[in-house]
Amino acid sequence: MRLLLALMIPVFAFGQEAATQTKPDEKAPAKTEQAAAAENPAPAASDALVLTGSFDFGYRWVGDVRGSAQQYRSVVNLGEGPKLTGLDFTLVDPKHRLFDRIDARGDGWGGDPYSTAHLEAIKRRIYDLRVDYRNIAYFNAIPSFANPFAPGGFDERSFDIRRRNGYVDLELFPGGHILPYLVFERNSSYGHGVATWVQDNNDEFAVPTLLRDSTNNYRGGVRIEYNRYHVTLEQGGTTFKEDDQAGFNGTNYGDRTAPFLGSTLVLKNLQQAYGIRGTSLYTKIMATASPLSRVDLYGQFLWSEPKTNANYFDIANGNFGLISSLLLYSGQFNIGASAANQPHVVGNAGMEVRPFRNLRIVQSWMTDREHTTGFGALTEQILLTPTATGQSLANALNTLQVVNYNRYQVEAIWDVFSKLTLRGGWRREFGDATVRAGVFDQSGLLASRDLKRDVGLAGITARPFKKLSMNVDYEGASTSTDYFRTSLYNYHRVRARARYQALASLGIQANFAYLTNENPSPDIRYNLDSRASSLSLYWTPEGGKRVSLMAEYSRTTFDSNINYLAFPFYMPSVSLYRENGHTATSMLDVNLPKVGGMEPKLTAGGSLFVSDGTRATSYYQPVGKLSLPLQKHVQWNTEWRWYGFGETAYLYEGFRAHLFMTGLRLIK
Amino acid sequence: MLWLISTARQECPAPAAGRLWCRPNGSGAAGNNRRIRMGRLAAHVAAAILTTITLWGAQEAKPGTPVSSSDQTKAAEPAKPAGPEKPAEYVGSQTCQACHEDIYNAFQKSPHSVVETDKKRGFENNGCESCHGPGSKHADSTDATQIRQPAKLKPSAADAICLTCHRNTTTQAGRINSSHARNQVACVSCHFVHRNNGNDLVARKPAAINQQCAACHLDIWASFQKPFKHRLPEGAMSCTDCHNPHGSAMVHMYQTTRATEPGCAKCHGEKVGPFPYEHAPVRLEGCGACHEPHGSANPRMLTRPQVSQLCQECHANLPTPTPAAGSTLGTVGPAFHDLRSPRFQNCTLCHQKVHGSYVDRAFLK
Repeated sequence: MRLLLALMIPVFAFGQEAATQTKPDEKAPAKTEQAAAAENPAPAASDALVLTGSFDFGYRWVGDVRGSAQQYRSVVNLGEGPKLTGLDFTLVDPKHRLFDRIDARGDGWGGDPYSTAHLEAIKRRIYDLRVDYRNIAYFNAIPSFANPFAPGGFDERSFDIRRRNGYVDLELFPGGHILPYLVFERNSSYGHGVATWVQDNNDEFAVPTLLRDSTNNYRGGVRIEYNRYHVTLEQGGTTFKEDDQAGFNGTNYGDRTAPFLGSTLVLKNLQQAYGIRGTSLYTKIMATASPLSRVDLYGQFLWSEPKTNANYFDIANGNFGLISSLLLYSGQFNIGASAANQPHVVGNAGMEVRPFRNLRIVQSWMTDREHTTGFGALTEQILLTPTATGQSLANALNTLQVVNYNRYQVEAIWDVFSKLTLRGGWRREFGDATVRAGVFDQSGLLASRDLKRDVGLAGITARPFKKLSMNVDYEGASTSTDYFRTSLYNYHRVRARARYQALASLGIQANFAYLTNENPSPDIRYNLDSRASSLSLYWTPEGGKRVSLMAEYSRTTFDSNINYLAFPFYMPSVSLYRENGHTATSMLDVNLPKVGGMEPKLTAGGSLFVSDGTRATSYYQPVGKLSLPLQKHVQWNTEWRWYGFGETAYLYEGFRAHLFMTGLRLIK
Repeated sequence: MLWLISTARQECPAPAAGRLWCRPNGSGAAGNNRRIRMGRLAAHVAAAILTTITLWGAQEAKPGTPVSSSDQTKAAEPAKPAGPEKPAEYVGSQTCQACHEDIYNAFQKSPHSVVETDKKRGFENNGCESCHGPGSKHADSTDATQIRQPAKLKPSAADAICLTCHRNTTTQAGRINSSHARNQVACVSCHFVHRNNGNDLVARKPAAINQQCAACHLDIWASFQKPFKHRLPEGAMSCTDCHNPHGSAMVHMYQTTRATEPGCAKCHGEKVGPFPYEHAPVRLEGCGACHEPHGSANPRMLTRPQVSQLCQECHANLPTPTPAAGSTLGTVGPAFHDLRSPRFQNCTLCHQKVHGSYVDRAFLK
């Protein structure tokens, strides 16, 4: 709210000043022309601050949400009430006193799930200041996601949080050769949710949680840019903290429905807390150089060393069972501590050589090395009765994870003639990883794997005639060893795109994307086939003066088969996933005939997604808008939206909702 | 090039039958001597050709030649008519203004006007001609074919003009890794040189950025119409929040943050760690191992509709003290996970710290 006020105050303040000194235009400027007007103030106002922009506000009604309100909030989450839907202004100082211009915008204020604000102030050759803030609500309580038969009947992995991201970026001497800069970034979240407290792999109890974390990122550096070379040196650091908590008082029987040793398990009281702190230092060096007229060199060196340490505590009372000892007990408390360190280096170097006018050879090499070491200790004290302690379980483990990834690529790009470019090359990816093995003991065995992959690269860009352009991008690989069963193995990936400007007012584009991936190992037998075919049409007769139409349609198919071992008997089985989707988006703008000197504009369209397959889903989002200019600076906007969501397998998650909004746009 | 030669010698002993690319650990060694020789020969020939043309090119290039006069720039100039005709000369932007006043005025207010005043850039008072080339002939004849028109050049030639000044800048540090550059997407596909609003040389607002990207990436934009997605259609985020259109050191042109982390960590800082108990795919394969960030019909943008299905596709190797050669990472869970019971159908119900845990190696807390 404070930020909103901060944005609004200059609007009105400067607006008043400009209003007294500038001569309003005869015609309300179109949105795209507002900035132009700002740059070209009326001669009489040459010394005055010039403000242009728009201010959108209104009220939204959310019709009765039929179906799952939880799902509506998880997917749409638009609420009712007064809204500031848009704020966009530009302030220009013709005398270039403190700034040349300030651009500010904000969207979605007034309780909407995504509120943004952005401000940029520039004084040429002196500074470029950018401030950005976003507040995005994440609500997720989808019944089918967690245990739909949980006694509480709710999603046991739900949350209702707001994530706030912002940055302040100050660059000095823009347009010069030496540009120092300072940046502060912050992202944080705060909210509530539901998580489970897991007791000895035996029962889990859904409990309310408080979620809060924040990361501050400070960085600064200098960019040195000259015609023949460039170097960027940056040093930064982060601080991180996470203080999640969970608490419960009452009677919670958990998800286990069968008694344990003839006794019903129950949680009566829980206090759980995490205290996690992290720091990081990092360095970024980027350089480019053109030592010869036909040779360009590129290089990046990135280094970071984040560290974390954590303290954990929980105490619980109730009636619990310990499988390993076949023991019933009434309480427990856990105390844990851990630390981790992760030096991480990324190096990237490359060169572009242009031996001939029409030939470019691009080589690059990259390495990414990350070594994580950690230590964790956890002590669990069993309470047989509130006063009698039982056995104590303690474990401590040094952990290690090493990931080394390397990539070498060479590619030739040949402009065969002005309308045809061919590209071909080869890439080798190789590396190794050592991770904690997934066995059931506590000894911390390590497992190592290699990655070896050869990738062929090819591409064609053709412009057979002025109105048609085409591009094909191909990548095919053969892998000898890889990390995971579902990793890319022997794959082919094709992307094709064609754009045809049939008329000055009619443009058509077609896209095709294809990915097939196969891992033929006998116990894996992974086959993935993904296709997406898209067609779009843009029609703007007479430059969109009366009517303009945008229409897009995509057909996607996804087909995946892989062998796996099904619980509880490890039966070899096949995991199938299918999705056949249709997606369409369209928007029709019509400038209606003038009524009383006003020219209303009608917009209709929306999008739909319909799929069948493993999780058949339909999601409709039609929209209609009517804009009516009331005066040259005032526009009345009304909007209707409808959201319809349904799933064949989870009928109880469907919802439908009408949203109606009306408001004014003030334009200056 | 030496790398290519050594690789051919050491890494390709036996390309498997029917494979285009060598498989170092392949099993088809017997009877493939001919293929081995052919493969080596092909690699040597390719390396020799690339080395030759590289060296040739290096000899042709004139060391110390200013970048602004490189052949790349020359290539972008209009074809010269036959005969000993006097080359076009620079006439200054004031001359251009006489006929192109609107564009001239707009240019003076754009960030590009710095070339008009900065002596070090070599185009003082010749801002228009810094991109359009010497304009004396065009000024004399008013013939549009007598001046370079970057918009009508092939992408590489148009880019060469932009890169005359922008090649050695921070934004281009990842250029050679960019699929845009590799696929001949010219700078002017996204950037507008003549716009009269200084900030509108490129789209700045999230909705405008998304619209611009979606114009080519139709199938990706279609994914954002699915129910579970990042908030791009709502204008709260933009494609460039996650991807660097100029290229980066990361795959998929991911933005980076904190030097080495993919851009996902800009907003999801609590998922980064480092954790004493890491979940290996997060680091080895990235978020995309389990999530479809562009949009999905599955909750939490997962790549599979049920969590158990997603997990079990990887966790399907029987536990062994030392994983066998050729096997993959990811061990099957213990048998008490009876998937016939709904409480076991969402693994993250208990293994809730699946991105990594500070406390428990099984990610239970």
